[in-house]
Amino acid sequence: MIDGQQASEALSEIDEIARRVRQSTIYQLASLMLIMWGALTAVGYIVTDLSPRHAGLAWIAIYVAGIAGSFAISTFGYPKTRIRTFDGRTLVAVLLFVAFGFFIVWLGRFTPRQIGTFWPVYYMMVYTIVGLWVGYAFVAIGLGITALTLIGYFFVGDVFNLWMAVINGGGLILGGLWMRRS
Amino acid sequence: MAELDDIIHQPLRLRIMAALNALPGGAGLDFSRLKKLTGATDGNLGAHIETLAKAGYVAIDKAFVGKKPQTTVTATVAGRGAFARHVATLQEIIAASGR
Repeated sequence: MIDGQQASEALSEIDEIARRVRQSTIYQLASLMLIMWGALTAVGYIVTDLSPRHAGLAWIAIYVAGIAGSFAISTFGYPKTRIRTFDGRTLVAVLLFVAFGFFIVWLGRFTPRQIGTFWPVYYMMVYTIVGLWVGYAFVAIGLGITALTLIGYFFVGDVFNLWMAVINGGGLILGGLWMRRS
Repeated sequence: MAELDDIIHQPLRLRIMAALNALPGGAGLDFSRLKKLTGATDGNLGAHIETLAKAGYVAIDKAFVGKKPQTTVTATVAGRGAFARHVATLQEIIAASGR
């Protein structure tokens, strides 16, 4: 028979494993979302570069596809994981977040380059904050893409949109693949 | 006071059962994820999973994903019950020790 101290250590071990399983499950689900959004984002920046007058429409289509895809991933993943990563409440939060972003862009009268910099930095702020609770992979991805975005804003010339396709789109895809292995 | 389950109480088997019981009923973990979560080596993990399977606490499913073999381990209903009783016994021991 074991004593109270050993029993307490065993229960702590159980709690720690349960925490790791939950984080691993969230990472598995989130990785699919990151890969999807990374691919969509890359397409968005490429269209912005090749056909700037179609950029607005392209980004609207990307948001719609991304939100639909996020719902699908959450719905199909739920029976196995019992974790809802994207539901009605999340959708409302995303819409409010995006609406506030548009307000800031309008208020600040951003240039196209500033708009292209603002949005990824704004989204990566959320990744970084969420990561403080959910897992440090989010923090690393959030800060990494933010840093590369700012480098692009200040130092990359006319190929800024292509730079963003690679570091934002590609960064999210690589981040998602990294999470799958975690 | 109930007795601790000797099959589950071994440290690595406890971690295996804790990992599987953290998932919803019917959900399992593949071998490589289980290895990462429990910090086990290949041989060690395999041996302890076999012990749990012989006790009826886990089910092992071997399939192919493409050309790659994949082993998925799932806690059985009996295994979940045994784990829940084991956790309850641990809590009784703590309560009895006055912690």
